[in-house]
Amino acid sequence: MDITHPQTSMQSLWQLKRREEEDGGDGDGGGKWAGRLLRESAAAISEKDSGRIHHLLWMVNELASPYGDREQKLAAYFLQALFCRATDSGGRCLRTLTAAADRMRSFESTRRVMLRFQELTPWSTFGHVASNGAILEAMDGETRLHVVDLSCTYCTQWPTLLETLASRSDQPPHLRLTVVNPSDGGGVGGVDPVVSEIGRRMEKFARLMGVPFEFHVAAGLHQLRLRDGEAVAVNCMGALRRVVVDQREAFQGLLRDLHPKVVTVVEEEADFSSTRDDFLRCFDECWRFYSLFFEILEESFPPTSQERLLLERECSKGIVGALAGGDGGGGRRETAALWCERLRKGFSPVGFSGDVLDDVGGLLKRYPAGWSISPAAGAAAAAPGLFLAWKGHPVVWASAWRP
Amino acid sequence: MASNSASDETSVSAGDQRVDPLPTTAKKRRNLPGMPDPNAEVIALSPKTLMATNRFVCEICNKGFQRDQNLQLHLRGHNLPWKLRQRSGKEVRKRVYVCPEPSCVHHDPSRALGDLTGIKKHFCRKHGEKKFECEKCSKKYAVQSDWKAHAKTCGTREYRCDCGTLFSRKDSFMTHRAFCEALAEENAKALTTATEDAVAASTVVGDEEGGTAAVASSSSSPSSAVVNPAPPPQMPTAAERPKQEVEEPEPEPEPAATVLHQAPPPPAQHQVGDNSGSNTAAAGGSAATSIFASLFSSAAASVSRSPTLPDFTPLEPISLSLSRGTSTFFSSSLDRRPFAASPPSPHLSATALLQKAAQMGPTASGASLLRSFGLHEQDSPAAAAGAGSAALPNLLMPPPSFFATKPATLDLLGLGGGPPAVASLL
Repeated sequence: MDITHPQTSMQSLWQLKRREEEDGGDGDGGGKWAGRLLRESAAAISEKDSGRIHHLLWMVNELASPYGDREQKLAAYFLQALFCRATDSGGRCLRTLTAAADRMRSFESTRRVMLRFQELTPWSTFGHVASNGAILEAMDGETRLHVVDLSCTYCTQWPTLLETLASRSDQPPHLRLTVVNPSDGGGVGGVDPVVSEIGRRMEKFARLMGVPFEFHVAAGLHQLRLRDGEAVAVNCMGALRRVVVDQREAFQGLLRDLHPKVVTVVEEEADFSSTRDDFLRCFDECWRFYSLFFEILEESFPPTSQERLLLERECSKGIVGALAGGDGGGGRRETAALWCERLRKGFSPVGFSGDVLDDVGGLLKRYPAGWSISPAAGAAAAAPGLFLAWKGHPVVWASAWRP
Repeated sequence: MASNSASDETSVSAGDQRVDPLPTTAKKRRNLPGMPDPNAEVIALSPKTLMATNRFVCEICNKGFQRDQNLQLHLRGHNLPWKLRQRSGKEVRKRVYVCPEPSCVHHDPSRALGDLTGIKKHFCRKHGEKKFECEKCSKKYAVQSDWKAHAKTCGTREYRCDCGTLFSRKDSFMTHRAFCEALAEENAKALTTATEDAVAASTVVGDEEGGTAAVASSSSSPSSAVVNPAPPPQMPTAAERPKQEVEEPEPEPEPAATVLHQAPPPPAQHQVGDNSGSNTAAAGGSAATSIFASLFSSAAASVSRSPTLPDFTPLEPISLSLSRGTSTFFSSSLDRRPFAASPPSPHLSATALLQKAAQMGPTASGASLLRSFGLHEQDSPAAAAGAGSAALPNLLMPPPSFFATKPATLDLLGLGGGPPAVASLL
């Protein structure tokens, strides 16, 4: 394909795209048009070739659309990130995206998107089941539990845990749930309204289940008020990646200081961390990961799903952060092998029991084909825990640790 | 029978080891499973013996039986005098059994279970290997009867939330329920009927091993299952917690609150499916419909109460995601300098901008186009503050020929009118 000729007309671009689609992307490396064009653009940015940057990004923009097919959607979000990279405006773009997302956010939309996503894919529920299993086993026999929740899934993990606690043969223990929400308390506004609404629901549901329950929101680990005699579990679902890379080990030290009985760690399997100084490698990894994610969304959701659009839009922050976010931003995912290397400095791994493995296996049977569970393999063979894999590609990693 | 209770069991008389059945009476809200009569004889069996032991043992040949009647029938075969066939008075004394697993709460004599079958099932369920796997859902069971009971209902069971949504999976039902408006509205419902319903629901739920009773009760009154209001949130009685019986919990204990819907046999099940499709029609008829209607209206009301948080605006936010990048860029670089034409609207998508530019292209010269986008002011303060005005034309503008043919490119991507950072990059 001729992507260097400046005179390429719009019509020929569309012909080119159609031809690529008919080819099915075979030929050189299975790349579809978006991946190839964006890779060229990334290379041009890497070489600081301004003419090529202009031309390529213009072409991508012609073809991209957040409402199109998967290639067009990916192209739209990656174009945004590459543009930020080229103009060094990643930080500003991230702030704008965050502000826009916050303005759009409501309890209603959050609930709808989270629940639909969990109904159609095990992406989050896999981590929920594995973590809840590890927490319940580590806390067995304790009468006062304190779960410190650093997750990104808006407490959707906890109803099933409450239900399990309620259906244990002996008296359900007292459960304290503290959601650590760094966006709270920093300013004047007080508690995030979505989080406080979720808290009200959790309290009501716990009453219904007959589990003695308290709900708190903390702006940071320093605000936790641990009590004597309570057993602490720390739930880190997509939490560690939000910590700035350089501070990750220090942060784990803070977690260790809570003297938890168990720390559950669930992370998405991608490496935007060790590749962060090598733009092209980082681009390739980012493209690999988000192509998979968009493929999963495409195959799991109906084509016109509003929830799918919102989930895709959520990715824009991650893509901009990875490609143009610099060192300061969080959201830099690491592979399980890298996480383990860090975690082993302060914790030792806890294996999942047979019961938990059964539960996770049973969970996957309820979702469409394509999902599987694999123990750590390949490069991550040293990593304990479990992988959720999509068509053989590990995408989410779950593990449990103790100090 | 290789062994019987007399030879292997460690029999502890309650007189010797006084059992305090309620050590923390004040704190307990309800009876825990395993609260034996203090006068009962506490029996501890080894795991092997426990599994091999039957409850009713013939004193003559040591053969064990699961049921008393079977033992009595057996005893007749020994052709004993009538007197010996009677149970001795000693046997009337109640026996309780502890779990052989030392770490288990039921290992403590104060939490012994009153039934040998109960302790056997408990031991298998909690400390034994789960050998029986459901073919449909791969759930595993240690006790065969649990597995059989599960297999009868696996896949046929449905959970219906008060909002009308049906679930085939308990976990998604639980998650949904915790977040559902129906839960938020529950307080408004009458509490008097709820108690009865909770009791009814608990019998339906608790009888899973019996299977038939559950089907009968729910199919005979499907509407009541649908219309069941949730039990009141605070109800510390046993009614709320159906599995709190003297024995072990059922294989899949359900709190009564999970208004369980036992799907009737296949033909009827189609109706259920249809109902879920229409989402408001319910088997209960008008009563149920009106309940749903009120739920929906309340849900709608709660949405409309917060008009500042629109959650269904597909067009605007997405176009923002790209144009926002350019718009902030524009505003930040433009707001300090004058421009000839109005700046592009921040709400225009990139594509719209491009189309606009393409329309202008044929009629406008390159220079006027430039001016129209406010990029021409070489001596603008912002530009001067950035990279220096002299360097700007060369840095910002690609070769003129390229620019003339593709006027849209620059503006669209914002590269041409770049902030200082662009200038330094290029």
